[in-house]
Amino acid sequence: LWDCETGKQLALLKTNSAVRTCGFDFGGNIIMFSTDKQMGYQCFVSFFDLRDPSQIDNNEPYMKIPCNDSKITSAVWGPLGECIIAGHEGGELNQYSAKSGEVLVNVKEHSRQINDIQLSRDMTMFVTASKDNTAKLFDSTTLEHQKTFRTERPVNSAALSPNYDHVVLGGGQEAMDVTTTSTRIGKFEARFFHLAFEEEFGRVKGHFGPINSVAFHPDGKSYSSGGEDGYVRIHYFDPQYFEFEFEA
Amino acid sequence: DGEERAASAPGSSPPPPPEEPPALAAGEAPAEQAGDAAAEAQSEGAGGEDGGAADEPSFSDPEDFVDDVSEEELLGDILKDRPQEADGIDSVIVVDNVPQVGPDRLEKLKNVIHKIFSKFGKITNDFYPEEDGKTKGYTFLEYASPAHALDAVKNADGYKLDKQHTFRVNLFTDFDKYMTISDEWDIPEKQPFKDLVNMAFWMEAECRDQYSVIFESGDRTSIFWNDVKDPVSIEERARWTETYVRWSPKGTYLATFHQRGIALWGGEKFKQIQRFSHQGVQLIDFSPCERYLVTFSPLMDTPDDPQAIIIWDILTGQKKRGFHCESSAHWPIFKWSHDGKFFARMTLDTLSIYETPVSDTVSWGDFSWSPGGNIIAFWVPEDKDIPARVTLMQLPTRQEIRVRNLFNVVDCKLHWQKNGDYLCVKVDRTPKGTQGVVTNFEIFRMREKQVPVDVVEMKETIIAFAWEPNGSKFAVLHGEAPRISVSFYHVKNNGKIELIKMFDKQQANTIFWSPQGQFVVLAGLRSMNGALAFVDTSDCTVMNIAEHYMASDVEWDPTGRYVVTSVSWWSHKVDNAYWLWTFQGRLLQKNNKDRFCQLLWRPRPPTLLSQDQIKQIKKDLKKYSKIFEQKDRLSQSKASKELVERRRTMMEDFRKYRKMAQELYMEQKSERLELRGGVDTDELDSNVEDWEEETIEFFVTEEIIPLGNQEPAWLCPSCVPGAAGKLRPAGAVQVVPASQRAERGNKSKPVRKRCLSPVFTRR
Repeated sequence: LWDCETGKQLALLKTNSAVRTCGFDFGGNIIMFSTDKQMGYQCFVSFFDLRDPSQIDNNEPYMKIPCNDSKITSAVWGPLGECIIAGHEGGELNQYSAKSGEVLVNVKEHSRQINDIQLSRDMTMFVTASKDNTAKLFDSTTLEHQKTFRTERPVNSAALSPNYDHVVLGGGQEAMDVTTTSTRIGKFEARFFHLAFEEEFGRVKGHFGPINSVAFHPDGKSYSSGGEDGYVRIHYFDPQYFEFEFEA
Repeated sequence: DGEERAASAPGSSPPPPPEEPPALAAGEAPAEQAGDAAAEAQSEGAGGEDGGAADEPSFSDPEDFVDDVSEEELLGDILKDRPQEADGIDSVIVVDNVPQVGPDRLEKLKNVIHKIFSKFGKITNDFYPEEDGKTKGYTFLEYASPAHALDAVKNADGYKLDKQHTFRVNLFTDFDKYMTISDEWDIPEKQPFKDLVNMAFWMEAECRDQYSVIFESGDRTSIFWNDVKDPVSIEERARWTETYVRWSPKGTYLATFHQRGIALWGGEKFKQIQRFSHQGVQLIDFSPCERYLVTFSPLMDTPDDPQAIIIWDILTGQKKRGFHCESSAHWPIFKWSHDGKFFARMTLDTLSIYETPVSDTVSWGDFSWSPGGNIIAFWVPEDKDIPARVTLMQLPTRQEIRVRNLFNVVDCKLHWQKNGDYLCVKVDRTPKGTQGVVTNFEIFRMREKQVPVDVVEMKETIIAFAWEPNGSKFAVLHGEAPRISVSFYHVKNNGKIELIKMFDKQQANTIFWSPQGQFVVLAGLRSMNGALAFVDTSDCTVMNIAEHYMASDVEWDPTGRYVVTSVSWWSHKVDNAYWLWTFQGRLLQKNNKDRFCQLLWRPRPPTLLSQDQIKQIKKDLKKYSKIFEQKDRLSQSKASKELVERRRTMMEDFRKYRKMAQELYMEQKSERLELRGGVDTDELDSNVEDWEEETIEFFVTEEIIPLGNQEPAWLCPSCVPGAAGKLRPAGAVQVVPASQRAERGNKSKPVRKRCLSPVFTRR
């Protein structure tokens, strides 16, 4: 746990296996993280209440949800901190209650591992990025599948624009397959899709390795991407991006 | 019966032989009985004569003795083997057209007949009917088994003894069979008409071409209409084929491969037309006329029943013939003549043209049918003192219309031009006294008298060779990577072969001519990363250079208007897709398909129009193109209208959903405020009153610009607004070239300029 302003480490919690994903709830008082299924240990989601210092000091979460099937590969808090939305290695999505730990909703829309989940700015919907070459849009409360965005490469990360109906997808392929595709500079592209039409309308080249993470700036005028090539690229949109409209 | 009477009444002269053939076997039984009777008669006689001298008691039955023991009880087991009248008939043959001879020459005749017919088996009996002292001209022969009789009929029928006598041989049983054919003829029952569906449907619809696509690593197969905007799917089936598909040469059938054999599909709905059962089938080939299908399976061969290669009649589904197969290395093993009348294959030492073996005991190089006539071209490698030879042979006359001797030959390859107008033989030779291999092209002009041959010498190694279909040009890729060149040659009427143009530094390893000629795509497939060059050979200009990264296949559509380049999952595991280009090299579509495997255009049947009609259409082309353009415009606007409609609906639905979500969001505002201690964080500027604004200036650099020499405000090239449509952050610098430095009197140091484009401000 870190202090943003000073960069000081506030707490260190040791775990039995690798920590895959973590986050604060909306109120900023509860943290959750998921640990991998490794070395004989099962996959767990642990919850700590920061208002109770004993939990942090003794490394004792107030709740630990075991995950029996495929491990959790990405997770985010629900809109009001009442639940967790978790994506699994097999492509399933589960909504766990943050109070009781039970599964509230379960859907399977993806056929392969979910690499990333990001909420919209108003947290009413979220986008998932999956190894099955698609990204999908879901409603946060019901987990109802809304839209699908198709590519021909595994999608590592996806982000929703805060003020437009746009989503950006970043991907590439398995790190071990990198040598088999073009190593020409800039072949790895971030792709922009329209949320309602599911159609691609733009690509940004630049990375020469698979893109692992994408994020919009909260003002919607720029986005950033980080890749396997070791670079973080910050892009500011042209005027055309804001003026663009589909024929409809 | 003659024998019977003779046995029962010894001493009497043999009665004249009957017209009917002796029931020879039947004669044995009566003879047996007659023998008993005779024995009885003799013993009685003996007894009678010897009556006085016999001291022994008489063992004879008393004269009125009636035998009350039936023969079945006494001789049952022997009687079981009693020959029936019908036995042995199957082993009898009748030979007609035998010379009629008198008794003096009968012995000689019998010997001759015996010699000829004992070839088929042991002759157990013969009979030569006579009349008026001469034989009647036909004989009966009996063999030890019916198989021999059949053999004799098969092989001796038609045997020419001399000028006037040609044997006709028949089974004895055949006479009865043919005499008992009834005079009534039953009309065969009418089979219900099997409607094979409209096989030519796909050509009638709108004259768009079709192509098949295999994707999802072979699990799905689809058939599409080719449309400039987007392919239109006709049919898509899961697991339609287990490996891949093939179209028949005229496009009528689609063949799919399965463990148990081949299935043929066709018609509007791609119904299953025919099935051919051949376990483990791997390769197939169609005859050009689409009447026959050849299938090969390595599993099925047994020494006495060849089943490795089977030739089927497509319409009836019948197995016509089976063949052995040593190896499938050179599929198709059977090569069809262009009209499907003959097919031929080459084995170790024989070139067989069914059903006439041409020759043997000569080692063969390779052979190939002319696509334009029943001419076969083959070459024979060097043999001791005899040089290598290329021969053109006309069939069925077997006349050698051209022979060409070649010296020091290492290898030959035969390339026919599509219409059979020219044959190119690529000859690799090692000239005497050198080590290296030199390549020549021997061009045979098939349509000219006595087939003149011209030679083109090539200085470099040949990578690929291809004739222009329907034309008289050919293209050659030569050289060694990375210095590969392409040369275009024209075979002129005046006997010259002219090099039209050569392009060097090409990235290509395969030549793909348009099926209509004139246009060609030079492709660098696989290891050359999919480089493409589109060339118009009428003036040898390169129309376009493009790339489809890692392309593994190039397929022209049958009309020569479109080219498809594709990356197959079988050769590359990522980016599997097929791209559609115009013949000029303009990219029209990119179609990604999950684990795309193969695309095949459906061939067109040959045109039904006469040459005059084609000429007329070409003349009126303007009229037709106006109509087609109108049609295209209508369909395009229809498509875009549909697209717009679809988008409108999607947008409306999405808006509805978003509205609901927004409402929920608004309802939850109070909870959010509570969770964040009363601070409103819903918008970026929700609590802007809490913000403090601070402006900081900091020193970056100092630049002294003497007045008078001031250059106008200068923007670095990338910051000129509107040029690239982008604005870059300030601070871009450019080094002033040495030539301009002198003006400022500062020769050593580069002068740095700062770009004056606007600076971004950030809080």
